Amino acid sequence: MEKQETMERICNDFTINIATANGTGSQSANLIVLNSMFQMGVPVSGKNLFPSNISGLPTWFIIRASDRGYQAPGDKAHIQVLMNKDTWQKDLDSLEPGTVVIYNEDVKLPVDRDDCPSFGMPMTKMARGINPKLARLMCNMYYVGALAHLLGIDDAAVSDALGRQFKGKEKAIELNTRAIGEGRAYAEENWEGGIPYCVEARDKDPDAFLVEGNEAVALGSIFGGVNMLSWYPITPSSSLAESIIEWLPKLREGDDGGATCAVIQAEDELAAAGMVIGAGWAGGRGMTCTSGPGISLMSEFIGLAYFAEVPGVIWDINRVGPSTGLPTRTQQGDLSMLYEASHGDTQHIVIIPGTVDECFEYGWRIFDYAERFQTLVFGFSDLDLGMNNWSTAGFQYPDSPMDRGKVLRTQDELDAVADYGRYRDVDGDGIPYRTLPGSGLDPVLYRGTGHDEDGVYSEDPDVYYATVSRLRRKIDGARDLLPAPVIREEEEQQIGVIYYGSMENSITEIDDMLESTGLSVSTCRVRALPYHSEVESFIERHDKVIVLEINRDGQLYGILRKELPVELLPRLHSVAYTDGIPPRARVYADKILETLEVTV
Amino acid sequence: MSVMKLNVIDLEKSEYTGGKSSLCPGCGHDQISNVIIQAAWENGIPPEGIAKMSGIGCSSKTPAYFLGKSHGFNTVHGRMPSVTTGASMANKSLSFIAVSGDGDTASIGIGQFVHAIRRNLDMVYIIENNGVYGLTKGQYSATVEKGSRKKKGTMNEQPPIDLCAMAINLGCSFVARSFSGSKKQLTALIRAAMGHRGMAVIDVISPCVTFANNDESYKSYNYVKENDEVLHMLDYIPHFTPLEEVDIPEGEYDDIQMFDGSTLRLETVGDDHDPSDAVSALSAIHRAEKEGKHVTGLLYYDDSMQTADEEIGLTETPLSALSEAELRPSEADLAGINAAFRGD
Repeated sequence: MEKQETMERICNDFTINIATANGTGSQSANLIVLNSMFQMGVPVSGKNLFPSNISGLPTWFIIRASDRGYQAPGDKAHIQVLMNKDTWQKDLDSLEPGTVVIYNEDVKLPVDRDDCPSFGMPMTKMARGINPKLARLMCNMYYVGALAHLLGIDDAAVSDALGRQFKGKEKAIELNTRAIGEGRAYAEENWEGGIPYCVEARDKDPDAFLVEGNEAVALGSIFGGVNMLSWYPITPSSSLAESIIEWLPKLREGDDGGATCAVIQAEDELAAAGMVIGAGWAGGRGMTCTSGPGISLMSEFIGLAYFAEVPGVIWDINRVGPSTGLPTRTQQGDLSMLYEASHGDTQHIVIIPGTVDECFEYGWRIFDYAERFQTLVFGFSDLDLGMNNWSTAGFQYPDSPMDRGKVLRTQDELDAVADYGRYRDVDGDGIPYRTLPGSGLDPVLYRGTGHDEDGVYSEDPDVYYATVSRLRRKIDGARDLLPAPVIREEEEQQIGVIYYGSMENSITEIDDMLESTGLSVSTCRVRALPYHSEVESFIERHDKVIVLEINRDGQLYGILRKELPVELLPRLHSVAYTDGIPPRARVYADKILETLEVTV
Repeated sequence: MSVMKLNVIDLEKSEYTGGKSSLCPGCGHDQISNVIIQAAWENGIPPEGIAKMSGIGCSSKTPAYFLGKSHGFNTVHGRMPSVTTGASMANKSLSFIAVSGDGDTASIGIGQFVHAIRRNLDMVYIIENNGVYGLTKGQYSATVEKGSRKKKGTMNEQPPIDLCAMAINLGCSFVARSFSGSKKQLTALIRAAMGHRGMAVIDVISPCVTFANNDESYKSYNYVKENDEVLHMLDYIPHFTPLEEVDIPEGEYDDIQMFDGSTLRLETVGDDHDPSDAVSALSAIHRAEKEGKHVTGLLYYDDSMQTADEEIGLTETPLSALSEAELRPSEADLAGINAAFRGD
């Protein structure tokens, strides 16, 4: 069909919203659309807004194409795909005039928007023609064909994406290729007029691929030498554990073919945390992954690891709290809990990746931090980063050998430490030396009760205060040894925005929106707690600093307020918002502008 | 100067002792600590090869009082099994000797107890069972018998949790009950448990002299002495003592071979008890309970089960001893992963 010459062409700058029901196989169709555009070099991101349900509840998949590299979900849909009768009318009502609507005629519901160009196709009926039993799943492939036709997605790119989705499953590839082809042909033959939106191939970085943050952490953990993974299933962290389980046999067999990492599905999160501490105590690299509810349950053990000084790793893939909350939606609501988890005075190292590259890197590096500082270290990710697909140019091999920390493995090593005691600060950095069970070297009974420098039970007031003061010094000393913030600074140091984690995917667009109003905006992405000294100097250099977060209360803002010199506090302003959806740039940019107006 | 007695690896018993106990004088737990010291010494286990594990409570304090040359971990309340699980995965060559109490195991920690058994973790799990919470001054625990009465307060009306019956139902590979006052029986059982590969649960009735040693308490010294239904006489013959050098008992007996080559000899007294028969073990427990008795001895034994580390298929070297080269995949491996993602 001839494209209309008069229509304005909008290439690689639009948002597609695909409304389906959970459990209908639509995720495969959605990923094929996403991946085929990605294979053409179009900068794309995909967000899966799925329900806490196996089958039936509504799901939306948002695909954003943006030559400017914007990865946040767009403010509105330019193309709406309607497959789900339950959300049909609400989805229609929410559309702005001019939105392109592609719908499954077999749902038999009206499309009452004359102001939106609409394209119907009997998707279910056509799918039945191929295979009646699989029609419910395959009907989704027809919108893939329809989108490919309307947007001009290459056949080759679609085939490539299809092949990746159904790796090696010849029958599935054959059937779905047919369905996509039929969808494309139907659209070509029956649909009058084109749409303004199109994709244009770009020079694709040949190294680039899409991967989920959870899989990146999983691979990083394997390269970090994880010896024991204990886990209890919970959305959105299960896929992290399952990725480790999938990759381990390919990457980590011992000389005798035996496993070099034990995987245990624990009876609950308490046990999972206990196993991590047991493994760390015995000299192994133990980890677990969970989400907020799991951290709540693990809190007692977290305090034990802090006080008894046992290394371990816990990844929190944040979902929406409090309580069971919105289990399949995203948030940064666990940060302050992680930082001070467990009763009494505690403080924990938290490592915060913002990209899939960092998910991999921190996946291995986090064990070095845990063993160096002899404490429990949190990895902090969220559902958006963990379960959505993000681009990388390939994971980088670890650039430093493993740091197994201050472990004395022989009598000579023990003798070389003057005045050794399990909890004696010999080096003045707050980090004592330790010996391992099985070594016979100066054995102690580890305990969560008060103990002196030799590890012997003590209720002595001076001993207690000295112990907790050293622990504070130890964690405080980690600041500048942890990942430094990523700072992008304007010469004119007017507004600074501090943010972290998955907000990385929205910050460029937010920044552009702010600068379009004439503001000069620098950004500082915090990558660890306790925060690096460069965070403080960034604040010192800027007149006003916004702390931007995906939570209600401004949790990093609270931490900064507690720890910064008091004279810096007036510069600091919190912008925190959360509704479960990955951050839309417009929402946060507007809130920043509002805050700046109030504080002028 | 007297010559100190040495064990099979030439160590004096003092190499196996620990710090001074802070428990009440006469506490059954201290007797059990002494038996653990004796058993480890007689078995000739190198102290550094043992890991002592415990939860929270009077019993869980005792690892400070035995095996001072062994590392240990006094963890949190009811969660010792999970810490032991992680430690065992990281270093499966350690011999784990764990001590817990009835509160620690039957109430707050019952979930972890159950799941450690299901996994057949390779450990000795000793429950020092007195029916009360001692450190918080004498509240009833979940193992106290219906009709039993502690020194102060009302009679217990709730049915008890029998940890041995529970362990047998869960398929535990070694289940025994004993009494802190039965030194010979308890020593044989702990020595055999140390030689067993897999989960060995020993429920030891250990009277609380402060809160529940009155005659109306079913776990007092007097009551247990009078109501101890012994299943068999036990003799432990270590692997380094040839069986043919041991006197043959006059009556009937069964020999059970432990994983380490040692033998537990069960001499029949009264009815013959077959420890491979879970049903008869359970009926012995339930019959005794009905009659207000405590049945003691090796209740159940099964050497055919895979241990947790066997099921996972861990490599031979303890994981904590693996080198960086064995733990970190190569640069070529990562290049292969990147290529696979790219679809090359």
